Amino acid sequence: MIWLTWRQARVQALAAALILLAVLSAVAFTWPSLTDAARVSGFAACHGDCEAAAGEFSALVATRTAILVYYAGTALLLLLPALAGAFWGAPLVARELESGTFRMVWSQSVPARRWLAVKLAGVGGGVVLLAAATSTAMTVWAGQIDRAYANRVEPVIFAARGAVPVGYAALALVIGVLLGLLLRRSLPAMAVTLLVVATVQLAFPVTVRPLLADPVTTVSALDLSAESGLSLSVDERDGSVEALVDPGVTGSWVLGNRVLTAGGEEFTGPMDPTRCGLTAAHGACLAWLGEQGLRQEVRHVPAGRFWALQWREFGVLALLTGVLSGFCLLRTRRRNRGAEAALTAGAVVLPPAIPRGA
Amino acid sequence: MTAALETRNLTKRYGRRTALSDCTLTVPAGRVVGLVGPNGAGKSTLLQLACGLLTPSDGDIRVLGERPLGGSPRVAFVAQDTPVYPGFTIAEHLRLGARLNPSWDAGYAERRIAALGLDPAQRAGALSGGQRAQLALTVAAAKRPELLILDEPVAALDPLARRGFLQALMELTAESEVSVIMSSHLIADLERTCDHLIVLRDSAVTVAADVDDLLATHHRLTGRRQDPAALSGGRAVIDQRHTGVQSTLVVRSTAPIDDPGWQVDRLDLEDIVLAYLTEGPR
Repeated sequence: MIWLTWRQARVQALAAALILLAVLSAVAFTWPSLTDAARVSGFAACHGDCEAAAGEFSALVATRTAILVYYAGTALLLLLPALAGAFWGAPLVARELESGTFRMVWSQSVPARRWLAVKLAGVGGGVVLLAAATSTAMTVWAGQIDRAYANRVEPVIFAARGAVPVGYAALALVIGVLLGLLLRRSLPAMAVTLLVVATVQLAFPVTVRPLLADPVTTVSALDLSAESGLSLSVDERDGSVEALVDPGVTGSWVLGNRVLTAGGEEFTGPMDPTRCGLTAAHGACLAWLGEQGLRQEVRHVPAGRFWALQWREFGVLALLTGVLSGFCLLRTRRRNRGAEAALTAGAVVLPPAIPRGA
Repeated sequence: MTAALETRNLTKRYGRRTALSDCTLTVPAGRVVGLVGPNGAGKSTLLQLACGLLTPSDGDIRVLGERPLGGSPRVAFVAQDTPVYPGFTIAEHLRLGARLNPSWDAGYAERRIAALGLDPAQRAGALSGGQRAQLALTVAAAKRPELLILDEPVAALDPLARRGFLQALMELTAESEVSVIMSSHLIADLERTCDHLIVLRDSAVTVAADVDDLLATHHRLTGRRQDPAALSGGRAVIDQRHTGVQSTLVVRSTAPIDDPGWQVDRLDLEDIVLAYLTEGPR
């Protein structure tokens, strides 16, 4: 059974090996240039407030090949689940069902359920290895860039670093297998898998991740100085105000950022027309705002929560993968409802009745 | 002796469609049994239920005295259109059989491939229909099952390949004690291969008898137009056709018919089966 799994998945295994080889050589090839940029810009040695050094480092990296590896590697990790689901998962059972070979292979002395269990374990193991190796390489290699960009905990980069890509790849694979089992055709299963996996990847950061992240809410007096980036836009018709201000946290994933009144409501104006109108004296409006006791509320996930959130999300994905795998295994015995229809479609009719009674 | 296949009120539904309803039959062991019936009679469904690829909706089925389970080493199956992996070589198919079956007879499999003149390094996708069927039969037979089930194995083959396949099947049954159940549309083929015949129509067994008995007890009577009720007892009229002046009957009778009013002819198996299948309202 292990031999059969290998024999049928060896093309995909070769593709995986080539992808991994490309990633590792790209990472190894650009590593000296990357460390050199970090050293030259002074970012590598910098601790504490490194905004200037980070900017210099970013600018330097942007001129080198490393930036291509950064984008390509991140994109690969974001696309890997869809690839694994559509090209490894969906055809795993669907191809056997549509070509009829399931009737051959499931009538050997190996029950269908064990056949699927070994296949899932084998191909799943391969996908997990590929995702883990690629993600580890990128997480280590892009460590300095992620520190400079301070966006590692933000949704896009978060899904392309650490343990989470492994969870998504495994889940996508099982989604593909399950859809193949249900749809019984490779191509539709592949298309639907792409759709479902993309939906999961887009929906997860919006719906589930904030629940896992346990975000921090900070409320502080609204900073009216120029550095806060405060902007107020007034609606001409009813005088309502939309206040925007920088969140004032670096490296965090910002979930919410509002300006509150002294009473704790969201600040929506209106403003005093005598002090903030077009005819008012310069600075009068700022003084008026200062008297309102406005506060800023920021809901965010600090960068320090990165690994805790990684493992929580990985755990949820692994759990989902396990549940869907179990469902696939349960489903194998009742899978070929359409088999009989396929059988009679190509059947030959009885020879015509011989003439008789002549 | 335990029956090769025994069903009681066996029913298989696919959603609202019923493929096999209330089927009760017994297939003796140690025989080469042909299963005949029109399309939609439920043959394929019955055979897939027997090798555990499908599970019954209702009723009971026993294969070699056991409930059929997919992956049983005792039962081998050659499915319709004899599916094989196009990308695998012949040698890889044998390796698959060896890896997946503890009872695999590697020597037998290799001898058979050699006897067929096939190159083990050839890909199965490049084989002709007849060679592919032979490969599927080899994989099934080298498992050394107690029961070999074949679902329309020769339906898509040309006459020469068909003869070769049936020849191989007969050699297999001659040299081992395997029970065989084979479904087919081609009754002439079954006449040569099988020693027991089961005719299935609308999930019901119409005939189940040894081929020799069927041939010995069925006659075609041709004579002046008359009421078949005039025949003496112990004779059953299976089929009757009447023209203005003439009557033609298919009659089952254990005793010889020496009525001078009838011309008595022998029937071949196909005539007998068709007589049963056209009998009564369809």
